[in-house]
Amino acid sequence: MTSATRTLQIHPDRCTGCKQCELACSWVQTGTFQPSRSLIRVHVFDEEASFAPYTCFQCDEAWCMQACPVNAIDVEPDTQAKVVIDDVCVGCGLCVIACPFGTMFFDRGSHTAEKCDLCADDPACVHACPTAAIEYVEADPVGWISAFGEKVDAGRRDSLKGEL
Amino acid sequence: MTRHVILGGGPAGIHAVETIRQLDTEADVTLVCDEAPCARMVLPYHLAGTIAPGTLFTTDDAWALEHQVALEIGCRAHRIDAAAHRIELDDGRSLDYDRLLVATGSSPARPPIEGLDSPRVVDMWTVADAGTFLEQDPKDVVIVGAGFIGLVILDALIKRGCRVRFLEIASVILPRMLDANAAGLISAHLANKGIEILTGEALSQIEDTGSGCRLTLAGGDTLDCDLVVMATGIHANRGFLEGAGIATDAGILVDDHLRTTDPAIFAAGDVAEGPDLLTGGHAVHAIQPTAIDHGRIAGANMAGLDAAYSGSLAMNVLHTQALESCSFGRWSPEGMESTGLSNPGAGIHRQYIWEDDRLVGGSLVGPTAAVSGANDAGMLKGLVQTGISLGTWKDYLKDHPLDLRRVYVASGAPKALLSSNLLTGRASTGGGYRFPPRPPKRPRSTHHAVLVTR
Ligand SMILES: Cc1cc2nc3c(=O)[nH]c(=O)nc-3n(C[C@H](O)[C@H](O)[C@H](O)COP(=O)(O)OP(=O)(O)OC[C@H]3O[C@@H](n4cnc5c(N)ncnc54)[C@H](O)[C@@H]3O)c2cc1C
Ligand code: SF4
Repeated sequence: MTSATRTLQIHPDRCTGCKQCELACSWVQTGTFQPSRSLIRVHVFDEEASFAPYTCFQCDEAWCMQACPVNAIDVEPDTQAKVVIDDVCVGCGLCVIACPFGTMFFDRGSHTAEKCDLCADDPACVHACPTAAIEYVEADPVGWISAFGEKVDAGRRDSLKGEL
Repeated sequence: MTRHVILGGGPAGIHAVETIRQLDTEADVTLVCDEAPCARMVLPYHLAGTIAPGTLFTTDDAWALEHQVALEIGCRAHRIDAAAHRIELDDGRSLDYDRLLVATGSSPARPPIEGLDSPRVVDMWTVADAGTFLEQDPKDVVIVGAGFIGLVILDALIKRGCRVRFLEIASVILPRMLDANAAGLISAHLANKGIEILTGEALSQIEDTGSGCRLTLAGGDTLDCDLVVMATGIHANRGFLEGAGIATDAGILVDDHLRTTDPAIFAAGDVAEGPDLLTGGHAVHAIQPTAIDHGRIAGANMAGLDAAYSGSLAMNVLHTQALESCSFGRWSPEGMESTGLSNPGAGIHRQYIWEDDRLVGGSLVGPTAAVSGANDAGMLKGLVQTGISLGTWKDYLKDHPLDLRRVYVASGAPKALLSSNLLTGRASTGGGYRFPPRPPKRPRSTHHAVLVTR
């Protein structure tokens, strides 16, 4: 990861769960307003009274890219985004199960793999979010997810303590 | 200058070549393969006619030039003289090596029955097999064996307008991918679609009738069809190693550096029995992702890097007439603690397999929205791959088997994964589109401008 590379940083505490990012993403990626085909997914964390949009981390190892039998996944030189070359993808689905983050999808409309491509360096989800819960900035992708994970984990430990 | 010889141009061999070349621009690299190097798992899409034929192949002259590889296509490795570091080819020539990679894959294993030599009886393993099938353009096909290979070509044959029937000797389908309950959902779904699966039926003979095939079952019943596809299992291609003194079991035994018992010889892919991520033992995982991991690790070590492999993880995904299924790791609940939920009416199944507070396997069946249209399949893979302890989250997942993401996020698995690489400490530069010229940059969707005005 070069230092100039920007990543999507999520601020779960700012997310109101309005799903504007899902609508924007599905519109840009599939031409339809169908959150079920969005590549960013807003997850509900009931017990934390929180929401968290979640999408590809553009990880270094790129398990999806490594697994692809026809090399249909490539690294975009400017953004380091891992992108699916639609014409090459045969739709085998291997990348979907190889990705250990769950951020690779199989699209039932196009019969190809779909993943976040950072909208060629200008992610639509960032524009769509009314509360700036998604930022496109130079930052370690591990940052937000490990902090949020720790918070969710701590929340459960606290609530279990309460039960004793 | 080190002389590397790679036997076999499947995914294991190709990734080894690319990795060696990445690390050593000087070495001498020769790739020997009896057929044009290809990705055989693309065959179903070739049969369906949904891809350009070139998509099957993984090398061309430009690739060979770019990677400075001597290609020896159309000849077979015949014998190894391990003491002399020499490999004999079937055309009488021989090649000397400093380091040898055996990546010769596997071949279909056929049952010992009569009548299999007819051109109307085909395997579905090579580009040539697919060609034999396509030439005859059959409309009524019987697939012998309802395992992964049999079922992975189903959608393609239906798309071609074939009537498809399965003949399976076991009482269940997909015995190496799903447990009986999960597999039962797929059988029921296919039966609803009019696809017959005859289970518990042994084939005793096939007869070429001149215009088609007649299959005779052990009980005496007969089935008539245009063509038979044999999909009854595979075996490792390691016959030519006989006498080379290399230890083998189900495959060629290799250590965590993919080295065989002969320090100059490595093995990778379907032919290798390498470290198993979950058991600490050895296993043959005859799948594409393992072939690629093996190829990269073997290539790195052959080029002089010290790259240890933590082991391969079994994984499979299958699309059968709009029902999806996948399984990971030690997916079988037999003798294991498991958490599951199943809604046969909706064709939905989900199961997690535990060892203490760690997930060691699992499976999902359902429509796209429940499997590869959701984050869950990959998150399950991530939890199994990292083997992270879930502590009190185990009870949570047992109570809320559908809320995997909360457990996943809290487990710390994403952090562990984001800082790990197969070839430790090296960002993965492999992969990527293989054939120059690289396709143009992925354009931004035209819908983007509608949404984003600045
Ligand atoms: C129809 C089909 C569908 C599949 N679908 C999937 C799937 O969805 N997911 C998945 O993970 N896996 C799938 N697989 C399995 C996957 O293709 C294999 O696991 C993978 O190809 C193994 O790679 P390999 O490099 O070890 O061997 P191979 O791909 O078999 O390559 C070995 C090569 O070596 C050559 N060779 C053999 N002996 C010699 C010799 N003595 N001298 C010279 N060359 C030799 C062979 O001809 C072959 O070209 C599928 C396979 C098939 C056939
Ligand atoms: S679905 Fe497409 S991109 Fe994904 S592994 Fe298969 S061919 Fe490659």
